[in-house]
Amino acid sequence: MKNLKNIIADFPMLLTKPLESKQIIYFDNAATSHKPASVILAITNFYSQNYATVHRGLYEASEFATERYEQVRAMIAKFINAKNESEIIFTKGTTEGINFVAESWANNILKPGDEILLTHVEHHANLLPWQRVASRTGAVLKFITLDLKNFDMHNPESFVSKKTKLMAVTASSNVLGGIWSGSQLKNLISAAHSVGAKVLVDAAQLVAHEKIDIQDLNPDFLVFSGHKIFGPTGVGVLYINKNLHDQVEPYQLGGSMVFDVDFDKAKWAQAPHKFEAGTPPISSVIGLGAAIEYMNEKINFDDMKQHEAGLCKDLVSGLQKIKDVKIIGNVEKICESGHLVSFCVEGVHAHDLASWLGTNGVAVRAGHHCAHPLIKLLKVEALLRVSFAVYNTRQEVEEFLKLLELAIKFFKKL
Amino acid sequence: MNDKIYQDELMHHFKYPLNKKEVQSPDFESSHLNPSCGDKVSIQGKIFENKIVDIGFSGLGCVISQAAASMLTESVKGKTVDEVLAITKENIIEMVGIKLGPNRLKCALLALQVLQDALNEFQKSKN
Repeated sequence: MKNLKNIIADFPMLLTKPLESKQIIYFDNAATSHKPASVILAITNFYSQNYATVHRGLYEASEFATERYEQVRAMIAKFINAKNESEIIFTKGTTEGINFVAESWANNILKPGDEILLTHVEHHANLLPWQRVASRTGAVLKFITLDLKNFDMHNPESFVSKKTKLMAVTASSNVLGGIWSGSQLKNLISAAHSVGAKVLVDAAQLVAHEKIDIQDLNPDFLVFSGHKIFGPTGVGVLYINKNLHDQVEPYQLGGSMVFDVDFDKAKWAQAPHKFEAGTPPISSVIGLGAAIEYMNEKINFDDMKQHEAGLCKDLVSGLQKIKDVKIIGNVEKICESGHLVSFCVEGVHAHDLASWLGTNGVAVRAGHHCAHPLIKLLKVEALLRVSFAVYNTRQEVEEFLKLLELAIKFFKKL
Repeated sequence: MNDKIYQDELMHHFKYPLNKKEVQSPDFESSHLNPSCGDKVSIQGKIFENKIVDIGFSGLGCVISQAAASMLTESVKGKTVDEVLAITKENIIEMVGIKLGPNRLKCALLALQVLQDALNEFQKSKN
């Protein structure tokens, strides 16, 4: 772990001291991650020194912006091992990426009776768009069930049928963390392909913790957000396999995405441009580029995974010593390879604990985590979630456990 | 320790809620869930000469949602339907007496929303 030491010093916000006595403890990384100084600087430098639009201006600043914008696309292709740069589409984020595929592909392709295969653990972003597609097209939603004892998936291929036309699954749950073991997801994708289905992978919770290898995993669509990998908000990535570029319609129509326009008709530009109408979030893309550079330079994914799992292990062993705490998830797996721990405390509402911890400088998430059906399935009132990033430390976990015990005592004192 | 949100009065209402009871043959009732956190509040009550003469709530959730239900039900006893319908968000913030961020405000306002929905229904059915 030597090369990850003091990484927190790269993140200005994490060095602030809102309580004047100590730095904040930020354990809400599954929601969004903090930004290293290099990302913030890349954005301010762009606005203060090189700002212009992309793809249009015939002057130096615009040429710089265009060059940098397209460089970032290439960097991302390399980062996730996609074959072609044109397969990388900039979106607003994961949510827009999924809605994009739902509106511009699934809505036009699916027929009554076709099956859309999801899992029980999907975030609302990977459930609601498919509910709407189903109601519009007559397609049917099917769910790969979660084993509530081990919090994993058994024989997921058995849910794939000849009627499956689309499988849209998360690579890692925002409530439970890893749900697939070994090459289970890859095998499932092969099984879906073998019946002719297309596959979308929601990688929002995976991308910050594990190296994505598109050519190995082989999805047709894959989505993630920039702000969960140390980049700015307002930019995300939609990977679309080149073979589908003609089958997927543009999500929005307007400037930048056309080849030729007449009063009564238009011809689209080639991908990726046909998928990016209007002025894109240039500064956010440039910031995301700086975030990828930061990760390439500073973070070894194997070390990071080991570090985050170590933090989970510390946290789990501390939580197991506190009365009335119930961890929701596969404890063994969390300690081995996790990046988040969800739990509840009997007799104290998760929101109260999170508020109390918040006033004491600790940021955690409480509630239903945008996964209401899963929370109902788990039969819990609300959950507290601690989610780690590479910059978190063992000292923070230790401090958190002390504060949590104080908080529980406070709410149970009467 | 800085735990300003959870002042004694609020904690007291949570631990020893007022009016946490069922009202027999109620004139008005309603129930709501705050889906983002799972707080649930149901309120029922009786009206005589356009005034609330009995009120009870049931619920499950965080300190703020449940304490606010206790405080609110207590404060509306003897008030007219119109007076209760005129209670504002600001009145609740003042009543709860603590600084609440936008996310916790929803918890504090849940009981008011339930009560005002119930009274609106009551008025509609009367007309």
